[in-house]
Amino acid sequence: MADKEKQPIEKHPGNSKKRASKGPKQRLRQRSTILIIIILILGFGATLTRLALLTIVQGSDLQERAVDQQLADTTLTAKRGTIYDANGNVLAESASVWQVVMAPINFKNDEQREAAARGLSEIFGLEYENVLEKTKQKSYYSVVKRKIEVAERDKVIELVNKLSDEYNCDGVISLLDDYKRYYPHNELASCVIGFAGADEQGLEGIEVQYDKYLAGTPGRIVTAQNARGTDMPFAYEQNIESKDGNNIYLTIDQNIQAICEKYMAQGIADNNVLNRGVCIAMDVNTGAVKAMVVSPGYDLNDPYTLPPETQAKIDGLPEKEQDKAESEALSAMWRNKAVADTYMPGSVFKMCTASMALEEGKVNDNSTFTCAGSMVVEDKEMHCHALGGHGTQTFVEAICNSCNPAFIQIGQLVGMEKFREYYKGFGFADKSGIDLPGESDDMFWDEGAMSKVDLAVASFGQNFSITPIQMITACAAVANGGYVLQPYVVSKITDSKGNVVKSVEKKVKRQVISKTTSDKMNEILGYNTENAGATAGYVAGYKVAGKTGTSEKIGVEEKQSDFEEDYIASFCGYAPADDPQIAMLVFFDTPSGGAYYGSQVSSPVFINIMTEVLPYLEIKTNYSEEDLKYLDTSAGDYTGLTTEQAVAKVEEDGFTASVKGYGEKVIAQIPAVSSKVSAGGSIVLYTDDESKAETVMVPSFLDYTAAEANSVAAQYDLNVSFKGAVSSGGKCIEQDIKEGESVAPGTVVTLTFSAATNSGFND
Amino acid sequence: MAPNKKVILRGDVNRIYDDDYRRAQQAKKEKFFIRPSRQRKMKNAKWFSIGMGIDLPFCLIILILLIVGTIMMFSASYAFSYYTVGDSYFYLKRQILFIVIGLAGMAVMSFFNYNKLHKIAPIVLGVAYFALLLVLILPSGEGGVKRWIPLGIFNIQPSEIAKFAVILFFSHWASKYYNKMQLPKYSILPGVIIFGTIAGLLLLEPHYSGIVIIGVLTVIMLYIGGMKTKYLIIGAIALVGIILLLAVTGGLSYAMSRMDGWGQALTAERGTELWDQTWQTRNSLYAIGSGGLWGLGLGQSRQKFLYLPEPQNDFIFAIVVEELGLIGAAIILLIFALLIWRGITLSLRAKDKFGKLLGIGLTAQIGVQVVLNILVITDWLPNTGISLPFFSYGGSSLIMLLAQMGIVLSISRTANIEKQ
Repeated sequence: MADKEKQPIEKHPGNSKKRASKGPKQRLRQRSTILIIIILILGFGATLTRLALLTIVQGSDLQERAVDQQLADTTLTAKRGTIYDANGNVLAESASVWQVVMAPINFKNDEQREAAARGLSEIFGLEYENVLEKTKQKSYYSVVKRKIEVAERDKVIELVNKLSDEYNCDGVISLLDDYKRYYPHNELASCVIGFAGADEQGLEGIEVQYDKYLAGTPGRIVTAQNARGTDMPFAYEQNIESKDGNNIYLTIDQNIQAICEKYMAQGIADNNVLNRGVCIAMDVNTGAVKAMVVSPGYDLNDPYTLPPETQAKIDGLPEKEQDKAESEALSAMWRNKAVADTYMPGSVFKMCTASMALEEGKVNDNSTFTCAGSMVVEDKEMHCHALGGHGTQTFVEAICNSCNPAFIQIGQLVGMEKFREYYKGFGFADKSGIDLPGESDDMFWDEGAMSKVDLAVASFGQNFSITPIQMITACAAVANGGYVLQPYVVSKITDSKGNVVKSVEKKVKRQVISKTTSDKMNEILGYNTENAGATAGYVAGYKVAGKTGTSEKIGVEEKQSDFEEDYIASFCGYAPADDPQIAMLVFFDTPSGGAYYGSQVSSPVFINIMTEVLPYLEIKTNYSEEDLKYLDTSAGDYTGLTTEQAVAKVEEDGFTASVKGYGEKVIAQIPAVSSKVSAGGSIVLYTDDESKAETVMVPSFLDYTAAEANSVAAQYDLNVSFKGAVSSGGKCIEQDIKEGESVAPGTVVTLTFSAATNSGFND
Repeated sequence: MAPNKKVILRGDVNRIYDDDYRRAQQAKKEKFFIRPSRQRKMKNAKWFSIGMGIDLPFCLIILILLIVGTIMMFSASYAFSYYTVGDSYFYLKRQILFIVIGLAGMAVMSFFNYNKLHKIAPIVLGVAYFALLLVLILPSGEGGVKRWIPLGIFNIQPSEIAKFAVILFFSHWASKYYNKMQLPKYSILPGVIIFGTIAGLLLLEPHYSGIVIIGVLTVIMLYIGGMKTKYLIIGAIALVGIILLLAVTGGLSYAMSRMDGWGQALTAERGTELWDQTWQTRNSLYAIGSGGLWGLGLGQSRQKFLYLPEPQNDFIFAIVVEELGLIGAAIILLIFALLIWRGITLSLRAKDKFGKLLGIGLTAQIGVQVVLNILVITDWLPNTGISLPFFSYGGSSLIMLLAQMGIVLSISRTANIEKQ
């Protein structure tokens, strides 16, 4: 068969027979020419064509496959980029570890295999049999263990040397660079940062959203390895260096985030919140998210461990349901409630309804609304939380009262069409576009499917669902002059050398209300807070604007709390009211403690957070007279003066003097120079040594309000210094000197106040 | 010279020469080597035609190919050599030794009177058959394949001997029965018998590429020997018919899959048996593809780092393309083309029919082997050991090759190209 291979191409000289008859010598010459033509033109032509096809046409594909093969075993993990907070503090970073790989094909005998398997199983605590099985594979590349640390690495190096010396076994075990992800703050901002998997691939949060930036390009060393996966002995210049991942800077401020998390956790515990809580703090003027909390969070360094009580519940299930239940519980734990879940905003939404009415000129300061405790719209009766009704109220009063019938009327004034238009305008109809994964859509009535009853309930924020991030964005728009902003959590991306790769600028989507309307709303909501005090989020020293909200959870499958219905308690506000800088939404899903109103559950958390965050942001204080009473002043230096002079100076500084002993001059004073003493505190002036021996017992200040604490302190001849939410009806939760200790008179006891939960409602 | 003979064989000078030769042989006056007295004519000889001297261009082309081939063999082998033997120069050193022996053999053969081969042609064929049978009896080598006869430092491939034997025998046969070659009895019959028996023995090794080479060489020898073109056309039609029939019945793809995964190098799945079978071919294709137009540069091959097994042997040209690119490959093919052109044209000027046929056959064999080798490494033919002349590492084949080139040079001594 094969001998005819050449024949098809030899049939061309069809008339050679005729020529051949001219003579045998001529025939040989002709046939030789044909042979040359066949070999050189057809044969060499075919080979050249084939080579050209492979090198030129298929070249890049084949080269890619070749390079893949040559580098497949020598891929070096690129260092994943670091995630920083707004101030450059590390939130997530990769540290060097190693992976142990084996080229079992290079084992020469079973003795070597056993020695290696024994050594490796001892170091890593692996099954000896399993490792031995691996050593018998005919492969160049087999991973023994990943992500080993320095101590284990040293043991492996020892083992490699031992194998080389005692068994003459080389090129079998090698260490490759690898990286492991660390989150230095564990739970902090878990819902934003997310976490990366074993292969350093992003799985949640920023880690997955910005995976392509963080991941970098894996390194390749063409030179270093041959088909056996061992180093080549020849110098070779074909390196493709690995490119480390880019670093990401978040808009999240670690300190604000920590403050928010602290108080959210407290709120969750105090109110026995069943379905987690959310807190988002946003820069009103840029849309940058300063803090985003889903509480309780989870440990980013250990994201696969469920809270003990959940785990216990799963363990109690039948075996076959456990896996499913566990994965569901995990994804529920990882789910970023702030963007991936929707809720009914309730009365918080009234700030938007009010803005629409103002913008459209449907209401003004003189508009009045009557509330009789309930209102009927198309045969459906809707109640106000004040069963007796609010009577006749102005527009501002209606907002302060959070009166539902009034808002039904306001909604009717705005009208269905305009209401829907503004709903869209505030950005509720579209995803906010925040750079976090899994953002959810809102749930609102379709065009034409909205009845008058629906409009009535929508006016006070019921029966439609939006995401928390949409709410805070709309709130920022109300505050900042009507600009609906694009919320974002990543401010810039830099490469590993620090060059900026991408920088995020503020993006205004549209202006939904005018500056005038916005200013008016700031005034009204500021008044609301000031007027209603603690229940509406009053923060000492700052003008704060805000609105509480308590929404019924309609349509839940299974009621979880002991109340008549499940509720979402929320508070949305911003500060300062006259020049808004930071907006914050706090909400708790299904509180089941003593209270469920937003004013009771969420306002105190808002106050506590703002009390710490506003000074941190260096926002100018604006104390009321009431506040000033509790403001600390520095004690002056009164020693060396005569008693009269000293007393006069003490009173001049705004303190009361208490003179001890009978000397002529002041020899000592308590509190010491420059220490912080609350205004009106007493300065004890010692005039002789005997008097210094006098002591007083420190009483308990716990649960006192600031005013009460002041009077108790005066009684005991002590001074107090206030910290925390003092003037918003907060109560003392901590004192730095314990009850019952003996101290010198005039000693300053520092009291920490926290806005108390459950202190009345107005919703 | 009998006058009647002249009438019958008018114009057939070669035949007369062969008759003269036979007579001279009977008289045993012919010397083994060309008499020194004849070399005196060389005084007036030119470089390109040295009278009784060898053909210088042909000799120079051989030397160029040897130098280029050895450099590439060294480049291709040094990584493999380092990892398997521990000495990067192992193959180079041995190849240089073989070249020295081979060149000595070539020089000796160029002084050997090739007409002596007339008599031993059937003996050589017998030796080839003996070797082909012997290799089947000997214990099989790697993978159950029986292609080599171990001879201490050398391994001899019986198919190498068979190739030479077929060329020699048909040169002898066709020059002897030149005017009868038109008859099937003198052309088709011996062709079918000799090729059929050798192919049968090679099938048992198995050595498909050997069958292909022997088959092509048989056809070439019969064709230049004077076989009727009609039979070639009939054979071609039959071959095409068989291939079409196989393609229609699906037997072709079955046959292809049986031949060590022929044509499936790039589609094989990792981890399958096919993947392992096509490992060498696949890596050859990777190497060729990586070369592109200009290549990665001399010594820069990556595939030679154990990816392409035994890169110094049959698959050396894959490394050549990877390092020198399509351009380099084309230049090397051009040198081979010059060798073949020069070899055939000088053979045509030989004084006798036997010399012409033998020279053309030996030269054509190189061309056939180059073409088939490249078609094998590019997966157009099944992967079954065809070495690349002057490039592939190997003692016996290189020494045999150079000795055969010596015969061509010996033929060139009787051919004065410039005069014709």
